[in-house]
Amino acid sequence: MKFIKENGPHIKSNDSTSKIMTRFLIALTPIICFAIFKNSVIVYSYASKGFIESLHPLFMIIVGALTSFISETLYYKIVLKNDLRTSLYESYRSFGIISGILLALVLPPNIPLWLVSFGSFTGSIIGKMLFGGFGQNIFNPALLGYLFISASYSNLMGSPFNAYELDTIGGATPLSNLMNFNYTGSFENIVSPFGDLFNLFVGNIPGAIGEVSKLLIIISFIYLVITKTIKWIIPTIYVTTVFILTFIISKYIDAGVWYSLFHILSGGLLFGAVFMATDPVTSPLTTIGQILHGLSLGILTVLLRFLTPYPEGVMTSILFMNMLVPLFDKIGIKARNNIRNIIIIVITFILIIIISILNITHKLDKNSSNVSELDSKVNILEVKEDGNKKIYEVTSKGWGLIKADVEVEDKNIKSIIIKDSKDETQWNEIEKNNYIYKVIQNQNNIDKLDAVSGSTYSSNALKNIVKKVKIEEAK
Amino acid sequence: MKIFKYLFKENPVFVLVLGLCSTLAVTTTFEKSYMMGLVVMIILILSNLIVSLIRKYVNNEIRIPVYIIIISTLVTIIEIFLSRYSKPLYDSFGIYLPLVVVNCIILGRALSYASKHKVINSLKDALKCGIGYLVAISIIGLLREVLGNGTLTLMNDISSLTGYKEVIRIFNGNIFPNKLFLTSGGAFILLGIIIGFINSIKKGKEV
Repeated sequence: MKFIKENGPHIKSNDSTSKIMTRFLIALTPIICFAIFKNSVIVYSYASKGFIESLHPLFMIIVGALTSFISETLYYKIVLKNDLRTSLYESYRSFGIISGILLALVLPPNIPLWLVSFGSFTGSIIGKMLFGGFGQNIFNPALLGYLFISASYSNLMGSPFNAYELDTIGGATPLSNLMNFNYTGSFENIVSPFGDLFNLFVGNIPGAIGEVSKLLIIISFIYLVITKTIKWIIPTIYVTTVFILTFIISKYIDAGVWYSLFHILSGGLLFGAVFMATDPVTSPLTTIGQILHGLSLGILTVLLRFLTPYPEGVMTSILFMNMLVPLFDKIGIKARNNIRNIIIIVITFILIIIISILNITHKLDKNSSNVSELDSKVNILEVKEDGNKKIYEVTSKGWGLIKADVEVEDKNIKSIIIKDSKDETQWNEIEKNNYIYKVIQNQNNIDKLDAVSGSTYSSNALKNIVKKVKIEEAK
Repeated sequence: MKIFKYLFKENPVFVLVLGLCSTLAVTTTFEKSYMMGLVVMIILILSNLIVSLIRKYVNNEIRIPVYIIIISTLVTIIEIFLSRYSKPLYDSFGIYLPLVVVNCIILGRALSYASKHKVINSLKDALKCGIGYLVAISIIGLLREVLGNGTLTLMNDISSLTGYKEVIRIFNGNIFPNKLFLTSGGAFILLGIIIGFINSIKKGKEV
């Protein structure tokens, strides 16, 4: 008998990798078309943007794909010293283009092109080639590129709105809107600003260019499963877990089924589940391993969404779970045909789920008491209205008492004028960091903004002003 | 070529991967990095000198407490000196200055070399290791500051001591500095890339 040692992905069929790649591209085509339709065609027709400018999403996808292909080819050519023909063939064979396209699809529509290129490059080189190339990478290259972009240039990523949406909707994405309401609230507050659930399903909402249309993602998923290109277990279990967990939470906060449907249809959950979590290299091979992978992904996503200031959570959980894939495979082999081990796993996961839900409900309770804490810290002395402008005169408790005028236009804070900050001991740090400007820039997700180190009290006082005024405006 | 060997073939950071705590934590500016390198080098030389001088009188069973006391005394002296003459630098080092006590390069050299060798040899060894550490931490600090912040601080915090102040702005508005390198994760990635680079050169030479 002849044994062959090969790297993953171990595909148990006669398909060659190039066939799989073609199917992936076919599955991505409707999503790319929709991204271009939503962010180019509509923007060109309804918002005052030039032709070239409105083609930005298309350029993003092209740049992402080209950069990852070229950088992989160059790596094969220069570092591994292959000749040009082999290099081109190798990078064609290693799904280079797909990770570039996937990266472009999870980015917001206004991102500069060089940043797409940067993410694609770091994803392919650091995330894939330095680990040993295709089949050896621990992390999903596209997600690693995304992580690099957001860790390096989060201030340049731009808003998730295209030009047309900026004119019509403004404000927040569904998930950051949910976070502004502290994860509780009625259908009118959470879903209605974006139409209804059908709008979320079709993709008529702001978000990253590729992940908004859930309908097309589901169609692609069905195509990929029918052609046996991806494993159906992971996405199904993943989405089901998120649904069940948010359903339990929705019972706790007296919301209907729409709450859990909202969680599934908003953000990048479906896109991540179908295209990222099923990456043949970075997902488990055994059936039990795949089930556990999906379960853990779901639990981690819900935990990240509720317990951290980052409302998305899908990308982070997939990247994190990539590290545990060998462990899941090991468990999967050990647990096969062994009832005792399966029972242990089931009990463990039930315990994890119970602990997670207890934690989340605790946080939700604390959030509702936080609002009254904010009231005690920030006082609104006077509100002056001047046409569509409003000026709030507020005081906020830092080390001493900060007095400020906040100018609001169309529910957005335009400026914060500090009138009195003499009690703040470390005020020069705030000024040195240009923190007031940053607070105004990040007003829609103020919890994400870090405090200035050395001047936490004053920074929190400024953040509280923004929170309070935002709550006041939302009323 | 001998100096190249000390710097890159027996470098305590890049090859032995020792003393990473200060290497990753304080290297956000070039000035802080080379000052930390100098502090560690001075303490390394002095501790090797003292350990080597008393090596015949120290019982093998209690040598670690004795060495720790020697090193922590030296670190305390430097700490008091810095807090007196260069308060900004002392503040920006924070906890990582007292932590030099447990820097494994210093303790490791004292245990494995200075306690068994003559004074002159111990001093030579301390100088080699100290310069290796200084060069390594300066390289990391230089790259991190230039890539992460777009500036190069030659002398800022210690300007009250030397009377010279220079912060060079390398990138102007066109190129955006990469904030990733200012985080510890970015420092790890940078260190990994540098180690990989050095290893690949070494491998190429051996073959």
